[in-house]
Amino acid sequence: MKARSTKTAWLGSAILAGTAFLAACAGSSGPDRLTTELLPVPGNPLVAFRILTKIGTAEDPTGKDGLCRLAWNLLAEGGSRLRTAEDISRAFFPMAASVSLSLDKETAVFSATIHRDNLAAFYAIFKEMLLDPGFREEDFNRLKAAQLAFVEKTLTGNMDEQFGKEILSLMLYEGHPFGRTDAGTVETVGGLTLDDAKAFYREHFVRGNITIGLAGGYPEEFPEEVRRDFEKLPEGFTPRLALPPAPTPKGLQFVLAEKDTPGTAVSMGFPVSITKSDKDFFALWVAGAHFGEHRQHVSLLFQKIREERGQNYGDYAYIEHFVEGRDKFPAPGHARRQQYFSIWIRPLPNSNRHFVIRQTLRELKRLVDEGLSEERFELVRTYLLNYTKLYAQTLDERLGWRMDSRFYGYEDFLAEAARILPRLTRNDVNAAVKKYLQASDIRIAVITPDAGQLRDDLVSNKPSPIRYANPNMPSGVINEDTVIQIYSLDVRPENVRIVPAGEFFRRPGIPAGR
Amino acid sequence: MIRFTAKLPAGCLILALAVTLAPASDIFPYPFHIDQLDNGLKIVSIPLENPDIIAYYTIVRSGSRNEIEPGKSGFAHFFEHMMFKGTKQVPRPAYDDYLTRLGAGTNGYTTDDYTCYFVVFAGRDNLEEVVRTEADRFLNLYYDEEMIKTEAPVIEGEYLASVSNPGRRLNELLRDTAFEAHSYKHTTLGYLRDIQDMPNQYAYSQLYKKRFYAPDNTLLLVAGDFDHARLMELVQANYGAWEKSNDELVTPVEPPQKAPKRAHLPWPGPTLARLAVGFHGPAFSDAVSDKAALDLLAAVAFDSSSPLVQRLVRVEQKCLSLNARFGDNRDPGLLVFSSVVKNDADLAYVETEILRELEQLKKEPVSAEDLARIKSNMKYSLADALGTTDGVAGTLAFYINLTGDPGTLNRLFALYDRITPEDIQAAAAKFFRPENSTTVTLTGGGAR
Repeated sequence: MKARSTKTAWLGSAILAGTAFLAACAGSSGPDRLTTELLPVPGNPLVAFRILTKIGTAEDPTGKDGLCRLAWNLLAEGGSRLRTAEDISRAFFPMAASVSLSLDKETAVFSATIHRDNLAAFYAIFKEMLLDPGFREEDFNRLKAAQLAFVEKTLTGNMDEQFGKEILSLMLYEGHPFGRTDAGTVETVGGLTLDDAKAFYREHFVRGNITIGLAGGYPEEFPEEVRRDFEKLPEGFTPRLALPPAPTPKGLQFVLAEKDTPGTAVSMGFPVSITKSDKDFFALWVAGAHFGEHRQHVSLLFQKIREERGQNYGDYAYIEHFVEGRDKFPAPGHARRQQYFSIWIRPLPNSNRHFVIRQTLRELKRLVDEGLSEERFELVRTYLLNYTKLYAQTLDERLGWRMDSRFYGYEDFLAEAARILPRLTRNDVNAAVKKYLQASDIRIAVITPDAGQLRDDLVSNKPSPIRYANPNMPSGVINEDTVIQIYSLDVRPENVRIVPAGEFFRRPGIPAGR
Repeated sequence: MIRFTAKLPAGCLILALAVTLAPASDIFPYPFHIDQLDNGLKIVSIPLENPDIIAYYTIVRSGSRNEIEPGKSGFAHFFEHMMFKGTKQVPRPAYDDYLTRLGAGTNGYTTDDYTCYFVVFAGRDNLEEVVRTEADRFLNLYYDEEMIKTEAPVIEGEYLASVSNPGRRLNELLRDTAFEAHSYKHTTLGYLRDIQDMPNQYAYSQLYKKRFYAPDNTLLLVAGDFDHARLMELVQANYGAWEKSNDELVTPVEPPQKAPKRAHLPWPGPTLARLAVGFHGPAFSDAVSDKAALDLLAAVAFDSSSPLVQRLVRVEQKCLSLNARFGDNRDPGLLVFSSVVKNDADLAYVETEILRELEQLKKEPVSAEDLARIKSNMKYSLADALGTTDGVAGTLAFYINLTGDPGTLNRLFALYDRITPEDIQAAAAKFFRPENSTTVTLTGGGAR
C-alpha cells in the first residue's frame, strides 16, 4: 500500500445506506448574493465540499488566455497568506486531504472530501486558501511555468488525443468566448503577471459569483459557519457573459495537425442548439448513447469501427461537452449554456485514416436519415435508465449532479431523467435527431503524418480500401466496406488546412497553416 | 484477523464457510464471507447496506507475469479482450445486449499479476442473471480463429492510443533494461512485435485458457446489496461444473543484478525531460517487513509534502513532479523513482539528489513523528478507497490477487504498525545499492 496524498478519505463505512437525502437550498435570490447547496447526510463520516465559482475560462480577458486557469490554480495550489504551499501540503498529508480544481468555460469548482475527524482542521486551511490567498511570486512562477510547459510541449508532443480535442474546440468556437484554449497559449501565458492573477481574483471571486456546496455528515451548525466566512468576500457579481451563437460551419472543414506519429487521432463535431435545459435533451440523449456512448459496447461507432473491423481502441460520440469522471461516468461540474456534438475516434493506423473518416461520416448520415429502430430505442433507453443509477455514488458526485441540476433549472436532473425516459417514444428520439443533428456541416481535427497526402485523398475522393489481418472477414463487413471505401465526401481544398503540430498554441486561434 | 475454517468433508458442495466479523483493530471495516467450491473456486462475499448496487468481480490470478514464453508478451491482456466474445449459448451480440439492458459499469483490466473482470450494476434482482451469464463465459467461452484475427489489431490500436505518452515509453524502457529473465521485463501491453503477431496465436490462446482460466486460479469477489446464501446457491449452480486446471507455470527467477545499468530514449517531438531510477526490490509480503518498510520510506522521503520534493518542485523548481512508485507484486518488482524535469540540463542534478536522499535514509532513521503522519495518511487513504461499493470490491480485488486471501489487507496494515525506523533504515541499505539500479532518461528533440 502506497501512501497517498492526492485524495481524501472515507473511514470505511456503509452509512450511505438508508441515510436521509435531505436537500436544503439555502440560497437567496439576487445575483449579488452568495448561494448555498446543502445535502446533509446525517451519520455519514465524510464531508464533501464543492465551492463553485461562476467564472470559467470564457472570462479570460482578451490577450490573457490562460489567466483564469492560472489564477484559480494559484488558489488551489499556491498557499494562503498565512501558510505557504509547503505548510499546507504538510498539514493535509496526515488527513490524506487535497483540494482539486475542476475548470470549464463557465464555471470552476474547488472540491475536497474530508473525514469528519479532520473537518475543523481541514476547513481552517481550506477557507484561508480561497478567502485569503497568498499570491506569492514563487508560487505564481512555478504554476505559470507548468502551464507554459503544458501548452508548449505536453499538449502537442505527449497527448495526441487531447491535442485533437483542443483543436476541435478552437475550430468550433472561432471568435466566440469559448474559442480559447483553457490553458492559454505560449504568448499569452508568457505575458501573464502576478498582478493579473490578483486582479482577476479581486474582480471575480466575489459573493455573487460563489455557490457553497456541502454534502455529508457535517455538524448541523457547520453550513452557517461556512456561509459567515464567505460572506466576508466583497459584494458584487460578474454580469453573465453574453454568448453569441457559435459560428455555423459550412461543409466539411478540416484542420490537419501534421506530426510524425504511427497513429492518426480524429475529433469532429459541430455546435448544437440544445442543452440539458431543453425538454428534447432526454430524447437526444438516447440517440447519443445509441450512436456513441462513452467507452461502452452499446456505442454503434464502437461496434462498427472497433468490434467489427478492429481498427482502433474505441469510437464514441457525445451530445454535449464530456469530461470523464470516476469509472468512465460523466464528471459533474462542466455545465455550459451552449453545447456541441462531437465524435472521438481513437488513434488508428495511418493507412486506414481515410476509410475511417468516411465510415464515421457515413454512419452519422445514416443516423440522421434513418434514426433508431424500435428495438434499439427500447434497448438503449433501458440502458440509460439503469446506467444513470450508477452516476452519483460518492458524496462529491451527488453534490456535483445536484449543483449541475440547478444550472440547468432542475431540482434533480437524474430524478427527472428517471421520470422522463420511460415516457419517451422512438418518434421523440428520431425527431430530436432530425432537429439537432446533421451530417453535412462538420469540423474535423486530425493529428496525422503526411497531411498533404490525406488532403489529396479527401479532396479527390480516391477509393480507400483497407486490408485486414483476418482473410475471412464476414461478408456483411466486406460488402459494407465496398460502399464505405468509395463513399463520397464533399471536401473542398480550401476547407482543408494543414498546420505543423508545433505551431499550435503559440498564440490564440488556429494557425494559418497551408 | 481473518479466520479460515477448515475444509468440510469431501462431497459437501460448499467446502468452506467462514463469516468473519471485522475486529476493531482491523483496517478493513466490513464483515465478509469466504467460501470455496470443491473445484477450488474461492468466493469472497461482502454484503453491504449500500442500497441496490452490486459489484461482481472475477479475479484470474494470471497477468503478464505468466507470459514467460518468447513471443507471448501481452497475451494476458489480449486474452482479456477475447473474454468478451461470448459463448455458443450467449454469443457476443447477445452478451452485449445483456450488458446494455443491465446498464452496468463493466470492463476488464490486466496487470502484472492478475486479470480482473467486473460488472457493477443496480438492482439486486439482476444478480441471478449476472451470475449465470458471467459463469457461462468463464466456463464456455467460444471464439474462432477469425475472431482472434479481428480482435488482435484492437490491441495495436490500444498501443497506438498510448504511443504519444512519453511516460509509458520510458516505463517500457525501464523494465526492459532492468530485468533479464523475469517476465516483468515487459509491460502488460507487451512488445509491439508480439502484439503484431497476435492474429496468429489462436492455438496458443486455447492453451492459455486451459492453463489459467480455471477455478483453482480464480476468485469471485462480490460486494453490495445481496443475500449471501442466495449468492452461494447461484454460484454453486453455475460454477460447480468448472474443471480445475492443475497447471503450475513457474516464472523464471530474476538473477541478482551485478552492475548499474543505464539507457536513454530520444523523443522525436517536444517534451519535458523525464527520469526514472529503478532498484530491484522485494515481492509483496504481509509478514516480512522489507516491502512494508519500503512503502513507508517512499512516503517519508518522496511524498509531495516531503522536504526533497518540496525543495526540487516548489523551491528550486527543477522538476514538475517527483515521486516514488513501489508496486506490490507477487514476485520481486521494481522500486521506481521518477521525475518530470523542466530542463534537460537538470536531469543529472535531479538524479544526484534522489540518490543523495537514499544515502541519507541509510544513515539516519526517519523520525517517529514522520512515521505517525504516514500511518495516518494510509489509514484515511484506504478508507477513502472503500467509500463506494465498487471501491470496496476494487480495493480488495488487488490484495486478494497477491495472496489469494482477503485477510492480507488487515495483516499488511498490522505489519505497517509494527515497522520501526530501524526497519526502514535496514531496507534502504539492503536494496538501494548502486549495482542494483537502472536509470533511464528521455529528452525531446532527437538523439542524444
